[in-house]
Amino acid sequence: MRKKTGLLVTAATLAGIGLWGASAVGQNAAGPFTQAQVDAGHQAYADACAMCHLPDLAGTNDAPALAGSAFMGAWKNRSTAQLYSKIAATMPAGAGGSLSQKQYTDIVSYILAVNGAKAGTTAFTPTTAVTIASVATGKVTLIAAPKPAAGNTGATAQTAGRQESAPANGPGDGNAQPQGSLFARAMAGARIPDPGRFTVSTKPGLTVEGNIQNYTPVTDEMLRNPPDGEWLMYRRNYQGWSYSPLDQITPENVKSLQLKWMWSLPENGTLEITPLVHDGILYVWGTGNTVQALDAKTGELLWENRLGPPPRQPGPGPSTEETRAMGLWGTNIYVNTPQGYVYALDARTGKQVWKTHITDEKPIPNGNGAMFGGSTGGVIIINGRVLVGMTNCGRKGDDNHCYISAYDAKTGKRDWIFRTVALTGEKGGNTWGGLPDNERKGGETWIAGTYDPSSNTTYWGTAQAKPWRRDLRGSGDGATDYANSTVALDADTGKLKWAYNHAPGESLDLDEVFERVLVDHGGEKSLLTIGKAGILWKLDRTTGKFLGAKQTVFQNVYAGFDEKTGKVVYRQDIKDQKVDQWLSSCPGPQGGHDWQATSYHQPSDALIIPLSQSCVFMLGNGSQTYFEMPGTDGNNGRLSAYRARDLKPLWSFQQRSPFLTGVVSTKGNLAFVGDFDRVFRAVDTRNGKTLWTTRLGTTVQGYPISFMVGGKQYIAVTTGLGGGSPQLKPSTLLREVKRPPNGYNLFVFGLPD
Amino acid sequence: MTFKFGMLALVAGLIAAPAFAADYQTNLGPMPLDDETKTVIGGRGEVTATTDGNTLTVKGTFRDMPSSATEASIHTSPVAGVPGAQIFTLDVTKASSGTISGTIKLTGAQAQALRTGKLYVQINSEKAPDEYPWGPKGTLWGWLFPKYTYAGPGVPQQDHWFLPQYDVPSR
Repeated sequence: MRKKTGLLVTAATLAGIGLWGASAVGQNAAGPFTQAQVDAGHQAYADACAMCHLPDLAGTNDAPALAGSAFMGAWKNRSTAQLYSKIAATMPAGAGGSLSQKQYTDIVSYILAVNGAKAGTTAFTPTTAVTIASVATGKVTLIAAPKPAAGNTGATAQTAGRQESAPANGPGDGNAQPQGSLFARAMAGARIPDPGRFTVSTKPGLTVEGNIQNYTPVTDEMLRNPPDGEWLMYRRNYQGWSYSPLDQITPENVKSLQLKWMWSLPENGTLEITPLVHDGILYVWGTGNTVQALDAKTGELLWENRLGPPPRQPGPGPSTEETRAMGLWGTNIYVNTPQGYVYALDARTGKQVWKTHITDEKPIPNGNGAMFGGSTGGVIIINGRVLVGMTNCGRKGDDNHCYISAYDAKTGKRDWIFRTVALTGEKGGNTWGGLPDNERKGGETWIAGTYDPSSNTTYWGTAQAKPWRRDLRGSGDGATDYANSTVALDADTGKLKWAYNHAPGESLDLDEVFERVLVDHGGEKSLLTIGKAGILWKLDRTTGKFLGAKQTVFQNVYAGFDEKTGKVVYRQDIKDQKVDQWLSSCPGPQGGHDWQATSYHQPSDALIIPLSQSCVFMLGNGSQTYFEMPGTDGNNGRLSAYRARDLKPLWSFQQRSPFLTGVVSTKGNLAFVGDFDRVFRAVDTRNGKTLWTTRLGTTVQGYPISFMVGGKQYIAVTTGLGGGSPQLKPSTLLREVKRPPNGYNLFVFGLPD
Repeated sequence: MTFKFGMLALVAGLIAAPAFAADYQTNLGPMPLDDETKTVIGGRGEVTATTDGNTLTVKGTFRDMPSSATEASIHTSPVAGVPGAQIFTLDVTKASSGTISGTIKLTGAQAQALRTGKLYVQINSEKAPDEYPWGPKGTLWGWLFPKYTYAGPGVPQQDHWFLPQYDVPSR
């Protein structure tokens, strides 16, 4: 077959289709593209690609590296025509083919140039076929941005205008500088047609100032024992249950559930938020860091603060642009932003009280103005401190590392940090295979932690070490502490009490970073969590000792997994992996389980868990292609319940679409969950039977909640798009599902009056 | 003890053909899918397999492939979800929908592979790429597992439900 391909290429060359064809081109000979294409490609890349693949082509999360050894490992033996075909068919993610042919050829030219290929005199075309290793060296050559075209000055003027008019507490700070795509510049420049027809302005800043009277400050005691009708934090209680003690809505009357009100949230970007409810006010975060307060009964807007910056691209955003949870304490609401800021806003007015940045706006070397440190997981408020995790934690060679940090809720002053990467000489520091400290990366925390007040301990999950493939990482069989671990920290000091590494030396983007659920059974104080590999873990949360585990979906990554000890043994070809080798991974990066969090239904001791069933082939640079998980009959989604006490399976059902929300369960024996194909449903917690469904405008995505106002129980949920593997995999695997690229909304359901 | 048991099982598998009748099934799904291949790869299928002594009889249907089937085969696999070598060819309808069938004599090792979820069915088609970086072309595939109950989409199962990890006798 390889001979056949070679013959085809040769024939194409002879026919003059590929000017460079298969002719011998010396190492690092002039590339099959022009400097003009590189310059144009630089701008096109900035507009369409840099958001995910990063300005220096280093890649992040689901976006593979496009420069350096990882790129060359994957592409050196393939042709420029194949690279063009791949990019034109699949990029931008979810919108393959949406750019012009010129833009695609320019982008390929730019990528080759950054990888050391030299511009020549012949223009690159879609059929130009030359082996990439024959022109590119993989030595990264960052290229200075081309001078802005005349047409760009308008955007600059708009930028200046926006900054001038933005209020002091708006986005007129360093991070809010509109960068990147024309769309981002237009959005930041308030170019949205808004000639005064909307009462709510689309300009950034405090667009509607609130005047909420008789607001009840949120106390530590309220956070420890939330009032039944309120939702004051991410998973409602410190233990991470997402369980509401409300029971007006029952299996008997849920069929009559009806829409009470809805609210349209800002479009574009990534929406995965948990609404909060206190004192009859519902708080919600929208894309562009738009924070809004609404009357929870009527849906009336009470205040709005558009913190900015707006999404960088039109349409659904990547997995780095969301936040999942805000927090309430005193008279403030606390918001972390994907750009790494933490804000305290007055919950009564929306005015900014304080603002800080988790890395003090430390710039990324060669980051084109980007800052080290983002935050997508949300916050948890403990003892008057705002605790927040971190993403975007540096690259190999720099001295940045991920940490969890805590801020005085009154002032924003940083109280402590806990670095999630163990360095040389520290406990766990010998688990990185001798890597220099500046090459130990990863350990992001992209889900807010939980808290046990009785021991004053906060529990967080961490993501895998980076790069995620161990062949690139260079850490050998090292466990890479404290990546893919549960860390137990003193909530007042951030000091480590214990850590448990669930997947030592993880290598296929199978994070163990998600929710930590705290459950007591008599004297047993346990912590339950489940990661992308689909293993439900139970630990003693006092000591970190392994108590048990249960596999929830098929997996082939571990050749051995001992449910009695928790020890995992990787498949041999994973241990022996090479950068240019495709590896099968079941589950793939969609999980198993992902950010769609478990609910603990206390009355039945049931953990109700959204699960996904897909597999991937993965290349060293992170390139992936997908297939259905064996034995699933094409069902990507699964919702399963396990008894927390002994991990006994209770019930489970599968469906074609994965679940894209967390679960909320109620004392009324109902669990609510939404899916990729727009269905929001109520399930009987006792047997898994679906009792009520409704079809919403687009993917039901976020964290549903239940609350009470005016003596009546309500259920709230958001629809929205954007995100990483949980969106990307089913978008390709479930071709029959048709969804609009818009429809970011908040829905509130209740029983008839 | 585990090692000894494994060796015994391995030896037994190598020298003995299966002495029991068993039913297997799989649901064929598209592979591999990304935004580049999804235009030429698609469809579904269902396959059952029955053993009688060392004879394996395979029957199945497929539908909705973007182009006509060219060949169908059975492959061995190091573990479910990891591709491996072709060991048998099957008869297949040369169309986008149709049937597959075949009767095969299994060696002891192949029978052991069947019992442990390490055989899979694959159908290739005209428009699928000639090859993938990790191996030969394919359009639909599915691993043969012991016959199991599938309740249907959205229908809950209680206490126990099929999970290849547990329901394949050994790995």
